[in-house]
Amino acid sequence: MIGLKKYFFLVLVLLAFACQRQKETRTIPVDDFFKSQNKVGYRLSPDGKNLSYLKLKGADRNIYIEDIESGEGRIITQFKGINIVFYCWVSDNELIYYKETDAASNQSDMYIIDKEGKNERQLVKNEKSRLRIIDDQLMDDKYLLVSSNKRDSTAFDVYRLNVRNGAMEMAAKNPGNIIDWRTDAEGKLRLAISSDGVNSTILYRASETQPFKRVLTSNFKDTFRPIAFSHNRPNIIYAISDINRDKTALVEVDCNTGKEVKNLFCNDTLNITEAQYSRRKQKMSFVVYETWKKEKYFLDDSVRQVYANLDKLLPKTETRIFDWDEAENVFILRTFTDKNPGSYYLYFANRSKVRKLSDFNSSIREEEMCEMKHVSYQSRDGLLIHGYLTLPLNQKAENLPVVVLPHDGPVERNLWGYNPEVQFLANRGYAVFQVNYRGSSGYGKNFVAAGFKQWGSKIQDDIDDGVKWLVRNKIADPKRVGIYGTGFGGYIALNSLYLHPDTYACAASNAGVINLFTYLKSIPPYQKPILQMYYEIIGNPLTDIDKMRQVSPLFQTDKINAPVLLAQNIKDPNNNSSETMQFVKNLKKRDISVTYIENQGDMFAGKNGALRHKFYTTLDEFLEFNLKRK
Amino acid sequence: MASEKKDGYRKNFSLILTFIVLMSVLFLLSLGLAYRFSTKYIENEFVSEKVKVLEQSIKPYNDFFQKKLPEVSFYNGYLDSATASRFVDTVLLEYPFVSKVIFYDSEVSNTPVNDGLNTGKFSFGPKNIYQFGSLVPSDSIRLFSINDTRNFIVGDDFNALALKLVSYIESLDTTRIPTQDELFSNFSNVRSNKITYLNIPRLEDLKIYKDMLRKTLDPSPVYQQDMLSFQLDPYKIKIINPRPLLYQYIKMAPLTYDPLDTTAVYLSTEITLPGPFSDYKLFFISSKSFIDKEIFSYFFPIALAILFFYGILVLVAVLIYRNLNINQKMFKLQYDFVNNLTHEFKTPVSVIKIAGNNIKSAVTLTERELKLYGKILDEEADKLNGLMNKLLAFTQIENKSIQLNRDRIRIVDFIESTVESHRLKHPDFNFTYEVSGVSTFVTDPVLLGSLFDNLAENAYKYSPPERKKLHISARLIKGKVVFRFTDHGIGIPASEINNIFKKFFRIQNQYNQNGSVGLGLAFCKELVNFMEGEITVKSKVNKGSEFKIVLPYND
Repeated sequence: MIGLKKYFFLVLVLLAFACQRQKETRTIPVDDFFKSQNKVGYRLSPDGKNLSYLKLKGADRNIYIEDIESGEGRIITQFKGINIVFYCWVSDNELIYYKETDAASNQSDMYIIDKEGKNERQLVKNEKSRLRIIDDQLMDDKYLLVSSNKRDSTAFDVYRLNVRNGAMEMAAKNPGNIIDWRTDAEGKLRLAISSDGVNSTILYRASETQPFKRVLTSNFKDTFRPIAFSHNRPNIIYAISDINRDKTALVEVDCNTGKEVKNLFCNDTLNITEAQYSRRKQKMSFVVYETWKKEKYFLDDSVRQVYANLDKLLPKTETRIFDWDEAENVFILRTFTDKNPGSYYLYFANRSKVRKLSDFNSSIREEEMCEMKHVSYQSRDGLLIHGYLTLPLNQKAENLPVVVLPHDGPVERNLWGYNPEVQFLANRGYAVFQVNYRGSSGYGKNFVAAGFKQWGSKIQDDIDDGVKWLVRNKIADPKRVGIYGTGFGGYIALNSLYLHPDTYACAASNAGVINLFTYLKSIPPYQKPILQMYYEIIGNPLTDIDKMRQVSPLFQTDKINAPVLLAQNIKDPNNNSSETMQFVKNLKKRDISVTYIENQGDMFAGKNGALRHKFYTTLDEFLEFNLKRK
Repeated sequence: MASEKKDGYRKNFSLILTFIVLMSVLFLLSLGLAYRFSTKYIENEFVSEKVKVLEQSIKPYNDFFQKKLPEVSFYNGYLDSATASRFVDTVLLEYPFVSKVIFYDSEVSNTPVNDGLNTGKFSFGPKNIYQFGSLVPSDSIRLFSINDTRNFIVGDDFNALALKLVSYIESLDTTRIPTQDELFSNFSNVRSNKITYLNIPRLEDLKIYKDMLRKTLDPSPVYQQDMLSFQLDPYKIKIINPRPLLYQYIKMAPLTYDPLDTTAVYLSTEITLPGPFSDYKLFFISSKSFIDKEIFSYFFPIALAILFFYGILVLVAVLIYRNLNINQKMFKLQYDFVNNLTHEFKTPVSVIKIAGNNIKSAVTLTERELKLYGKILDEEADKLNGLMNKLLAFTQIENKSIQLNRDRIRIVDFIESTVESHRLKHPDFNFTYEVSGVSTFVTDPVLLGSLFDNLAENAYKYSPPERKKLHISARLIKGKVVFRFTDHGIGIPASEINNIFKKFFRIQNQYNQNGSVGLGLAFCKELVNFMEGEITVKSKVNKGSEFKIVLPYND
């Protein structure tokens, strides 16, 4: 009896211990992370009275219009399936939309429709040409400024499209290399950007009757992005530029001389990525700069007031305004944080009120998500590398299994915010480590240039240094580090297995680049300037052939000894699927564990949820087997 | 041997003999069959194992074909002479059967070429041609360049594959993804001793190629293609012989090779090589005596197994025979015992019966007669009782169902009392005894007495009348009491000495025709065993026997 009592006591203690130990983290189903809401593409009519959106009902997506005052909504298009690729308001009563006719070649027809869903007319027939809207405001209540390549498939000319009868009259003929046209506040075409893919030239004219003159030319290593014309000084443009400096700044440029006149916002450590111009107030509103997250610097106090007000109404969240009416009174905005994909809101500036429209992903509960922390460390050659570390919920930051998540490239970056992939992995108990390795954007052009031709060498070292840093800080269990990435991220992941074989227990690659030669081959050989640019970023296959061979996983299968997960869309035109097969075969011949998923399409396309589900389930199992069960 | 029916016991040696003979026949038969089987098996192996030789010998080639060849494609047309040379170096090193490689650094364009292939608007021609190989002199590496077009031969490998490429592009269905096999077979050309391989472009490029057939594209595209032609030498293929005991010689030979001297003393077979080596075959030849060794090495373990099996069967037969024999002896002993016992009981019973009859029929009995009959009846009843006691005691001791008493006895007194009682019975029995080193010891006096009586009785019984003598000695040797009973009797033949302690065993002679059941010595042995001692015997025929009893000395 005494013995029995003893056991009973022991059981009680164990039970108490088990209950107290920690709150169990719920394993959230894969699909919940990637769900997107069925209402997208919110837009406001210019008069601010109507709200429009694309709503998915069943398998069909159509345009809906809602009266903001009364809240009454109606459907105005009747399509089966997902056909509408883009739409916008062109006046208070009319909208234009693109209907996709051939998904593979991006062909679509353009229609106009009024807000009641009546008077639907086809404006432009698909003639194997493409049409872009330059300015979404109607001029003289009937003209829309568009660009089209119907004359020459390689060059876009500018046309005035009469939305009443569909007639197009040429406004400007493309000499052959203009890639972008800009209008001033009056809708006059006064700025053009020509490019050979590497060097872009800004062309300017004082009025539409004059010929274009060159303002300045910038290399692909530089950034020069015109934002808007200055209202009262017709020869001055606002632009984001890093010509002659490392970080991008907001500057005023005199188009007659091509010289910078004034710095509106310039900082040696901050890189500007966006700038907002208010047409109504005819001045710059703010610039957006990136540190570990995007932040605003206000150039207009009234705009600052608007955002300050929003912060009060929607505390503890990031807000992004993305559409507004002409009067700049009604705004559509989206909120988000690292733990919350956020919601859409309407904001009425005059009444200082917000109205929630919808959640971006209602399956996500903020308290179940993990915090994305900014981290930085020194690389072996002294460069400061920034990254993000997301630790799993309810777990001590000690000896954790780590998934390194290098971002795609070239010249991209990770940013703070809700990332379904990161949250998915963190929910499974991994510390997720993202690195903005050299060559990533957002840290100035020198940092970008530092990554040129460093694929498979210093870029790889940066990531390895990051893992070492995690191990030094006892966060990572050195035996349980995996690496997974998409595109160039996948390339880095596969490279890691033979360049730093002791660091990683396994690698997963989704649509990863496995051969740099093939990657370069995807650029048509006649696009010589672009080719030259990529030669500079990636490497020149004619002179660096041996180096590129050494850092292409396809050639290095003999050195890979850890388990590999490979997913490949064989319909991807830029990929040579036979190479992927050969890669898998060569690994299998050496008895390396290879999990190969062959996709018949892009799994991130909305309609391919099944592919996505399969991939992430497989990834989950793969990591579980190779990292957790060790 | 005839069955001994009179014992009621069957012993059929002919049955066992038949069994052994049949077994032996079976044994020989299976040996013969096993040998035939081995021969057939090895001859079959000689024919079938060649596939293994081929597989292993051709493995480097398959490796080259499946793994190394596609590597040309990985470069996507970016190969230049230096890298190609390095690539070829690794090929030559790893795959010795590659003798020479010709590298066509070529271009696909809309501009017609002088050397190469022009179809419609599509042109495919080499820019440079290089040859690499261990025997290529360094000044003749470059065979062809735009400025030096001498060495371009129409009908060369280049044009053959170029034609294949063009016809493939012509029929290319751009709406579906071509399979790997389809691509591989259309971008390679396998001919006798030669493989030509063209890097496989991406599907997007193939679509453009298709367009280029029909129209001149603007801007005029130029695509790099690398073609490598590998010249192969089948004689350099390393032949791996995994069965050196089966194949005496393996050699590479042209398909037409057919030697005349393959007489009956040789075994030969052949297998054709795949792919570019299809004009050649592997020729296998072994002499019959060579094959015989392999047959024997295959047959030997089988024969051993059969022999082992046969051995076990024979052993079982022998054991069964032995058991039968022992059982027969036991049967006979018991039979004798019952005979003797009956006899033994018969005598006193008949005496009692006669005495009883005499008393019954007599009218009056004198005092003397009464005493005589009383004595007779008493003695005969004692005899019967003694017999029964002996039988009972023996069974008890054998079953260990009696308790051992422990009393201290004086040895001299004990021997004297035994001697006394026997002298009384047999006045002609001559006793001597000696005791040294020990005067008393602890034992069960009844059992010891029984033992002494039995041994003394035997000594008297098996001695001729003129030599009825017994010498008893008791000594303490190495902590044990040793008794010796030495007589001058008829002795025991050496062949029987192992049997005398067995139950119901008696030596057939004139001394034990009656009054013995063959229990005496068996009883003694059981007694000694029970007292944790040992009994042994030494004897010489007609000289006498000596029984030695060793008992533990408990003092």
